[in-house]
Amino acid sequence: MPIVPIVAYRFLVLGLTTLAVAMPLSLVVYQSFLTAPFFDPSAHTSFAAYSFVFQDDDFWQAFWTTLTICTGMVTIAVPLGALLAFLMVRTDVPGKRYLEPLLLIPIFVSAVVIAFGYVVAVGPVGIFSTLAKDLLGFVPWNLYSLFSLIVIAGLTHVPHVYLYSAAALRGLSTDLEEAARVSGATPFQVAVNVSLPMILPAILFAGVLVFFLGFELFGLPLVLGDPQDVLVLSTYLYKLTNKLGVPSYQLMAVVVVVIIAVTAPLVFTQRLLLRQAQRYVSVRGKGMKSKPLPLHSWRWFAFAAIILWLIVTVAAPLFGITLRSFVVTWGEGVKLLDVLTLDHYRELLEYPNVIRGIVNTFGIGVIGGAIAVACYTAIALAVHRWNSGWTRLVDYIVMVPRAMPGLIAGLALLWVFLFVPFLSPLRSTMVSIWLAYTIVWLAYGMRLVSGTLLQVGPELEEAARVSGASDLRVKRDVTLPLIKYGMLASWLLIFLIFVREYSTGIYLLGPGTEVIGSLLVSLWGTGAIDLVSALSVVNVVMIGAGLAVAIRLGVRLHG
Amino acid sequence: MRHILSATIFAASLAVSAGVQAQVPAGYPADYGKIVDAAKKEGKVVIYSTTDAVSANPLVKDFETLYPGVKVEYSDLNSTELYNRFIAESASNNGTGDVIWSSAMDLQVKLVADGLALTYPSPEIKALPKWAVWKDSAYGTTYEPIAFVYNKRLVPEADVPKDHAALLKLLETKPDAYKGKITAYDPERSGVGYLFFNEDIKNFPPSWDLFKAMGKVQTKFYTSAGAMMERVTSGEHTIAYGIFGSYGLARSKKDPNLGIVLPSDFTMVTSRVAFISKNAKNPNAAKLFLDYMLSKRGQEVVAKADLYTLRDDIDSDASIKAVTKLIGDKARPVPIDETLLETLDQTKRLAFLSKWQKAKKGE
Repeated sequence: MPIVPIVAYRFLVLGLTTLAVAMPLSLVVYQSFLTAPFFDPSAHTSFAAYSFVFQDDDFWQAFWTTLTICTGMVTIAVPLGALLAFLMVRTDVPGKRYLEPLLLIPIFVSAVVIAFGYVVAVGPVGIFSTLAKDLLGFVPWNLYSLFSLIVIAGLTHVPHVYLYSAAALRGLSTDLEEAARVSGATPFQVAVNVSLPMILPAILFAGVLVFFLGFELFGLPLVLGDPQDVLVLSTYLYKLTNKLGVPSYQLMAVVVVVIIAVTAPLVFTQRLLLRQAQRYVSVRGKGMKSKPLPLHSWRWFAFAAIILWLIVTVAAPLFGITLRSFVVTWGEGVKLLDVLTLDHYRELLEYPNVIRGIVNTFGIGVIGGAIAVACYTAIALAVHRWNSGWTRLVDYIVMVPRAMPGLIAGLALLWVFLFVPFLSPLRSTMVSIWLAYTIVWLAYGMRLVSGTLLQVGPELEEAARVSGASDLRVKRDVTLPLIKYGMLASWLLIFLIFVREYSTGIYLLGPGTEVIGSLLVSLWGTGAIDLVSALSVVNVVMIGAGLAVAIRLGVRLHG
Repeated sequence: MRHILSATIFAASLAVSAGVQAQVPAGYPADYGKIVDAAKKEGKVVIYSTTDAVSANPLVKDFETLYPGVKVEYSDLNSTELYNRFIAESASNNGTGDVIWSSAMDLQVKLVADGLALTYPSPEIKALPKWAVWKDSAYGTTYEPIAFVYNKRLVPEADVPKDHAALLKLLETKPDAYKGKITAYDPERSGVGYLFFNEDIKNFPPSWDLFKAMGKVQTKFYTSAGAMMERVTSGEHTIAYGIFGSYGLARSKKDPNLGIVLPSDFTMVTSRVAFISKNAKNPNAAKLFLDYMLSKRGQEVVAKADLYTLRDDIDSDASIKAVTKLIGDKARPVPIDETLLETLDQTKRLAFLSKWQKAKKGE
């Protein structure tokens, strides 16, 4: 009876996923209808929190600003990311092997670090600003405007779109593109008319995710929005706390419910679009390797465009933060050569929690990341080729945690760990951090894995089934090997995301659960900028090295 | 050589541990030894704090030397997170911080008023100022003057404001030179900022004129002292209004370009408030740590970490003595008592904030 195991497997996975997502979520929703923290005996149900938030002008201002930023980000990141993927995967742009790891840097550097790097580099008295002032007589940009925030947020999210699109493109055979090419299409026409339309599901996923990420944008507005008081929903949470004097669980919960209410229809739209996914199947039971598309005279132009993007998004902020880590002070009227120092790095070594943080961060990235990808794959396989209403439910479920700002998701999980008896011993171990990260990034990892699954044509699996294999065996021996590359890419992505994550771990931070991201935020808050900069550089160098190894390995495994 | 050295250390540590077991600190009740023994059985103390681990590290290390066998687990969090986490953990009764140590004085007093603190009269009470002890539960641990911090490279000596009135005058007479160059805590987004501005109103009658003047020169308001000081040293801003003197002092030792002024008309003084959690899993170790922090030995370390000691029997540039030398009797400590609860009153807050929003626009 091959039917029973597969059904059991599907519902087991479905149940576990629902539980993991529903526990923190239902706590948040329940909390939003109370008058006090849910564990407070005086709490009773009411709409008071909703009416307070909806009557607050600041809320609406933050809401519209957030929408503006999200829209701007998608407008910038989606076309650039998709084109970038086409250039990197399909064409003969020079230096691809070296460019590839660099492209991903904006993902794995915490946004707080990038933002602070920008302040040092191009802030009002930043290094490049002073240079521009000397040359032009004025500074041609204003880092703290809403426009700059949108551009920076957009450019730093290009790699997210790139990763999804590239993963999809790699699974796509090139015969259609070659046909177009032979018929005389320019590389740009090939990209826009053939390749990119074929990976539309992946691009749509990425677009929606970038929109989501915009909703929970925290590090960039925290640092760059601070001086001009540019308020987004996540920083509005801070202001809200202060209006009442005492942090208010129920008001924070309301804001999160609003965010989910906005993003849920998006998931619905996306789901409708994906019903057509079958039209995009393109890995058939054949296919062969082919030569990259020659760009000819455009080759170096494309290269220059990528480099320019890298300079603006990666080089400038990282240069800023690195410089900061080697100097005592900086800015107007300071000769940098006079203030060089290595003290900040020496200081790092004096703090056992910082050392533990570095070790933990690496562990959560490599080991935690691998286990998380295994979980995501298990879920993706469970709903794969399952023509049932349940799959729609899973689609919604995995999207939901992404809609919660990491900080709140972390708090909700703290509640879960506190009040669920058998979980409480795990609270002060890395397991709590791992679970929080895995749930928060569920949508992200799932989409990468299932995006790859979408590219697997049904006939290969059907062939196996016709030969007598059970459903589970088909998944193990046919589907899994086919998506090996996608899983590896997912692991890489999840590694980067976990290592960079900074907001989710804040409420779970304690002795034994230190991670670099949360340490950075807490050090930033207390003003230890020297350590923040040095720790950021250590983080970037450490991951950069790990990433180079992974890319090498990945490329070899693929080829 | 190494053998001799380690043998010596071994002998010394034996002597220390043997000594402590029997010994009760001078002036402490005779049965204090019981607390010490019980604390050693507990073996650790969990501290939730807003003081960054970097500043607190010397305190933690010295405590562990004094009481070998009691390990310190130190977590630094921002004040909102600390509050949220502490109330949830207290309610679940699944273990929380033993000592809660935060610079958000109003929130600390609220937690004590809400009955989440243990009543414990420390043997050190006699040595502490009266305003620093509330209900034998909440204890002030530092004496941190709120200062003006400025960039010595970019602010001419003649412009450096010596008091609040001088700052008001400077902003009114030279609005163009200081346009966008002043920075302060944001009372709309930061609890500390809210507390500071409201204390100003109590002590400096023309406060609203000052706030308006700050609004007119497009003062930039931040939520973290680190962000402000970084931008003052870089020259993006040149004068920071209302900064913890402790941060300023520590930073100025590394960067001589940073100047500190304790305003001579009045200087607000805040204190990091500590209490023992009612649900502490390690109450005895918590008592040891609290007493240690308030003791002369502990406060000497506090002063060394530039956090300003509140004991008047310690000489340091971060002490009551040093502050008194600079401004005489103009220090205005914020008393740790129920008056702090008034700053949490929602109606008052909303009234202040709507007036503030106008002042910010210069109206």
